Amino acid sequence: MNKFLRSSAFTLAFGYVAFGIAALILFAAPLWYAYYVTLQDARREGLRTDAQRLSEIFRRQGVSGLSTYIDNRVGMQIPGERILLLADSTLHPMSGNLPEWPASVPPAPGEYDLPIQLSGNDTRAMFVENVLPGNYHLLVGRDQALFAPLAARFWFGLGAAIAVLSIAGVFGGLMIRRAVLVRVDGIHHTVQAIVRGDWSHRLPMKAGSDELNTLSMTINAMLDQIEQLLHGVRDVSNSIAHDLRTPLAELRSRLEELSLTRPEAEETFAEIDGAVVDVDRVIRIFNALLRLAEIDTGMRRSGFVPVNAADVARQAVDFYLPAAELKGVTLSYRGSGPAHISGDPVLLAQAIGNLIDNALKYTNAGGAITVEVRELSDNRIQITVADDGPGIPDAEKPKVSARFYRGDASRGTPGVGLGLTLVASVAKVHGGVLELGDNNPGLRATMIISAHTAGVLPPVVATAGTAGALQSPVAAAGTASASAAGVEDAGAAGGKAVAECKAVVVEGKAVVVEGKVAADAHAADHNLRMRSVS
Amino acid sequence: MKVLLVEDNERVTRFVVKGLQEAGHVADHADNGRDGMFLAASEPYDVIIMDRMLPGQIDGLAIIEALRKSGNRTPILILSALSDVDERIKGLKSGGDDYLTKPFAFGELLARLDALNRRIQGSGTQTSLRVGDLHVDLLSRKAARGTRAIALQPQEFKLLEYLMRHAGQVVTRTMLLENVWDYHFDPQTNVVDVHISKLRQKIESDSERPLLRTVRNAGYMLTADE
Repeated sequence: MNKFLRSSAFTLAFGYVAFGIAALILFAAPLWYAYYVTLQDARREGLRTDAQRLSEIFRRQGVSGLSTYIDNRVGMQIPGERILLLADSTLHPMSGNLPEWPASVPPAPGEYDLPIQLSGNDTRAMFVENVLPGNYHLLVGRDQALFAPLAARFWFGLGAAIAVLSIAGVFGGLMIRRAVLVRVDGIHHTVQAIVRGDWSHRLPMKAGSDELNTLSMTINAMLDQIEQLLHGVRDVSNSIAHDLRTPLAELRSRLEELSLTRPEAEETFAEIDGAVVDVDRVIRIFNALLRLAEIDTGMRRSGFVPVNAADVARQAVDFYLPAAELKGVTLSYRGSGPAHISGDPVLLAQAIGNLIDNALKYTNAGGAITVEVRELSDNRIQITVADDGPGIPDAEKPKVSARFYRGDASRGTPGVGLGLTLVASVAKVHGGVLELGDNNPGLRATMIISAHTAGVLPPVVATAGTAGALQSPVAAAGTASASAAGVEDAGAAGGKAVAECKAVVVEGKAVVVEGKVAADAHAADHNLRMRSVS
Repeated sequence: MKVLLVEDNERVTRFVVKGLQEAGHVADHADNGRDGMFLAASEPYDVIIMDRMLPGQIDGLAIIEALRKSGNRTPILILSALSDVDERIKGLKSGGDDYLTKPFAFGELLARLDALNRRIQGSGTQTSLRVGDLHVDLLSRKAARGTRAIALQPQEFKLLEYLMRHAGQVVTRTMLLENVWDYHFDPQTNVVDVHISKLRQKIESDSERPLLRTVRNAGYMLTADE
């Protein structure tokens, strides 16, 4: 009950009841007043008439005649009879139904409404007093107590109305509480659960589209968004822990070793250069993570401008063309005219670039990569990067797709894991998705984005057939070799040649390849991709 | 060139000042906003390096805005740990000419300072560029080495034009990405190197003197000097 008293439903019901009662009283009070005044006037008028008639009798028949008339009338004992009294000049009663002149009534003609004592009871009476010739006092009055039941009935009526109103109010309050506040309680419990850290909860929704449902829907969408951001933050923390610890550990041991062994100057400088490479690697990972976080917060949508996605894709193809030629891969653009969207050209370029870069890593010499931008009929743009590399075996797909999902995926490297994660984020911020499918053979990565981004962001969708991190070891070795060999020759280096490679500097640029291509193809492969920073 | 460094971190200051001096430049230094503001307004500098978050009430961007309002057109490079694109835009809008995120490589900083310094000096409209016997006509968009005509793709021409405009200066990969391709992100792979090596093959035949050099830990430099 205490809870009920504090609930807003009670406050609401109480307020309505109080308002109803006030209105009722405001309505009834003038009514009662008018009624009361009219009644009193009518009574007074009756008394006056009576007194006049008696005075008339006095004038015609004298004091004895009036006296007899009064005695006769009193003797008839009519119920509700008036108070009648004829007194002489000393106020000594001569006839009537009062034993003596009431002490409270003054001996002067007039109309009075006074408290008196009638047969021992305190009451109130209305009097009309006439003074007749010969200084006789005639008193005609009426006991007001006779009207008390009428007033009582009125007050009872008012009281009953108030009671009904109150009960209806409380009952109504309970009904409102049941209908509405139970749902508010539901929301309350859900939110409490979320505050405790259980993000699986969502606000209960009912059929229909009332205000509470609409509100719940909006809040649920907000919670989805917050949860994703939260995942993003967690992923970033995980990635930092996982990806940064390795190069930091390496850097630390390098410096510590340097400090302990104090080698020759030449070796010391080489080690310092190596340390700078380590730091650069950390910075690179860090920048990629920060950028991802920046995109994920949706901040970049403030930078949306009209942009032709086809131009962006064509430029990206041009940019990667020499790298593809070097590897002996055909890279071509296929498009059907402009594709105008509202978006961020820098992010789009980076996303398409990442997809091409990824395809390039997994396509062998003689292969082909096709970039295509198409306008779909439903006001969406489809950007596809397809390669004919080894693709992913069907058995691996669920695993890969799970890995790619933003829990583990960001454990990848700026090279791959974060690369594709970034593509997914870019697609998301453009109100779209990244889908990874089969190109038979090869991988077919498709970004489907809406031409005009607006409204609530859809959740990231990772479809089956995700490219992800795992491809064949040959391809991975190819990646490493391509990076290590740098601009000189990519295609020639075989799988094993770079399997144990640790850190190579090509033209002042770090190519760090770490890990083992060995019996455990998948693990090693993934490992390799994770560590490869070029 | 004469450089003013406004930076409160001692180690970064030492690193930059020493580097600049070794490269043959004069470097002044202020470790708070007020001194920085005073020096920038009273002394003629070729380039100013401005940190964004400074002690002493005045923040880097406020100094830049104040300098620009008073008509000071000295090129300013903003040095900041704030890497968001929005922050970058804010910095350039306030009147900065370039934006470099901490942590940075000294080579990158020096190359950018050089570029800023040159931008002011050689800002006239040119119709042709020449480095040694390498010649580029900006109107007909044709390139030649001596009498040998060089066929270039539009993108290669743009890359060569940028290198020639900055002849004798180190240009970093990031500078090339930003200015030739307008890519303000890290493409992860060494695509820029591939572009450069392809261009190098075209402008340097076996018998010709090399012009396009690789500068270790920094980038590239196009120069006719030995």
